[in-house]
Amino acid sequence: MNTFLVSARHEMLNTRRARTAHILLIVFIGMVIASSVIGWVTNQTVTGVYNKVVADGLTTAPNPFAGVSPLYYARNAVIYVLLIGSLMAIVLGVQATVRDRKASTVDLVLSRPVATPARLLGQLAGLAVVLAAVIGISFSVSWLIFSIINGAPLGWGDTGRVIAFGLLSWVLLTSFALLGMLTGLRSKQQTTALLVPFVIWSAVAFVLPQIGTAARPVSLLNPVPALASTGGYFDVVSAFTGPLSLTEQFKRASSIILQDPNVTGEATSSILILLAFLVIMTVVVVVTPRNRMRSGLNE
Amino acid sequence: MTNSAIATDNLSKSYGSTLALDALSLEVAAGEVFGLLGHNGAGKTTTVNVLTTLLEPTYGNAEVAGHSVTADAMGVRRSIGYLPENVQFYDNLTLMENLRFFAELSGLRRPDQRIRDVLRILDFEGRDRQRLGTFSKGMRQRVGIAQAILHAPSVLFLDEPTSGLDPEGVRTLRETIVRLNSEFGMTIFMNTHLLSEVTKTCTSIGILRGGTLVHHNTLAKTLADFPGEDSLEEIYFQLESERVS
Repeated sequence: MNTFLVSARHEMLNTRRARTAHILLIVFIGMVIASSVIGWVTNQTVTGVYNKVVADGLTTAPNPFAGVSPLYYARNAVIYVLLIGSLMAIVLGVQATVRDRKASTVDLVLSRPVATPARLLGQLAGLAVVLAAVIGISFSVSWLIFSIINGAPLGWGDTGRVIAFGLLSWVLLTSFALLGMLTGLRSKQQTTALLVPFVIWSAVAFVLPQIGTAARPVSLLNPVPALASTGGYFDVVSAFTGPLSLTEQFKRASSIILQDPNVTGEATSSILILLAFLVIMTVVVVVTPRNRMRSGLNE
Repeated sequence: MTNSAIATDNLSKSYGSTLALDALSLEVAAGEVFGLLGHNGAGKTTTVNVLTTLLEPTYGNAEVAGHSVTADAMGVRRSIGYLPENVQFYDNLTLMENLRFFAELSGLRRPDQRIRDVLRILDFEGRDRQRLGTFSKGMRQRVGIAQAILHAPSVLFLDEPTSGLDPEGVRTLRETIVRLNSEFGMTIFMNTHLLSEVTKTCTSIGILRGGTLVHHNTLAKTLADFPGEDSLEEIYFQLESERVS
């Protein structure tokens, strides 16, 4: 078996044995269920009030939930993926690379016929499979819940949209796992290895969208992307910060995929930006020199 | 360069402005147990790190098992086993899972039988499903030897192998080293502080001081050259003081 496959399998085993993957899976399934239940309860409450209002003869307007897509219930999952999922992916990535440096097992690895790009790509592949499994299981649960709420299995179109949302979530989470791997390789302390990607994540999720659109911090916690810039200074700034606001790009693409009526347009550019980030992060991690991988932690 | 198991030629290594290894020229014949002695900071670990290709030399070259550490690092890595000082493993994984990982990285396919054979050689059977986190220091050191010899390397590098071991652990490890050399013909390159162990295991020795090799000979010849001295320890300190003066 070659270095890539051995490293991938070893990473999956380590993640599983450290119970990190279990925690991630439990949190994700919890998020998916919470998202669906919140949507379903909202639907039931509004429909109940609507029926009472109609019975009292106070309105003839249609039920606001009558034409809503079953995927509406997944909209909160968007924010859970980028707020909670991303942070957990960072932790997985940091663990993957800090583990070898912390225990000095890296010397046992690198004294064998191992090419460092194959080793790092293998570790990444292991993490990517773990993330794919977690997303796959949770989104299958999600599909099941939507079907139960809907009263019938989701059609091919909606199922395809759930899968596309899952793939997009995987791209985002793998990118943040790579960010964690990178700081795990480059930091001199384990605390810094965790702190730096968290700071970068919060800058990407909150600071960049704010300086480009003047959005309020609270509005950035909404599953729909922040409003477009309102001209002048913001037009100029958002031209630079917009593509870097990865979480906003994720929200925009996800909202379009899940047919949120509040967001219109094409998701292509946002998806391409997320894919570009994934590729760039992969290259940056894979070119890490052997000496860097061997450097010890100052603690 | 010759057909020696290990041959270095003006091998030097600097860390910034600090010269850790100064023009080391050394030959270790195949089948020898070579002990590299020296105080802390003498350059012993740097020597092993360069010879195992973990570090690139600043100047000079070395061949291990006929492969250049600079031009054919992969060839060197295929031919060697390495036990670092204070070896650590993946504590969440079992003994078998740890050894399987290292065996597969070394290119072994379906290594489980080979792992069981090695554990038998090291009198370490019946523990393959235990997690490494539960192992004592002495047991870890033996696991360290196991991971180093899984792929039957021709040259084995041991960096302070007896560090932190109790007397029983030291004796077990010494017996293992002697056995690996005599039964399996492995060339062993060992860094150590324990001069008593060198006397019992090594066939030749070198003494490093400040990155420079100040003595290199067979153990028998070294002892014969100092007939007035009772032990290798006395000889070691005499050689050290001669160089200082």
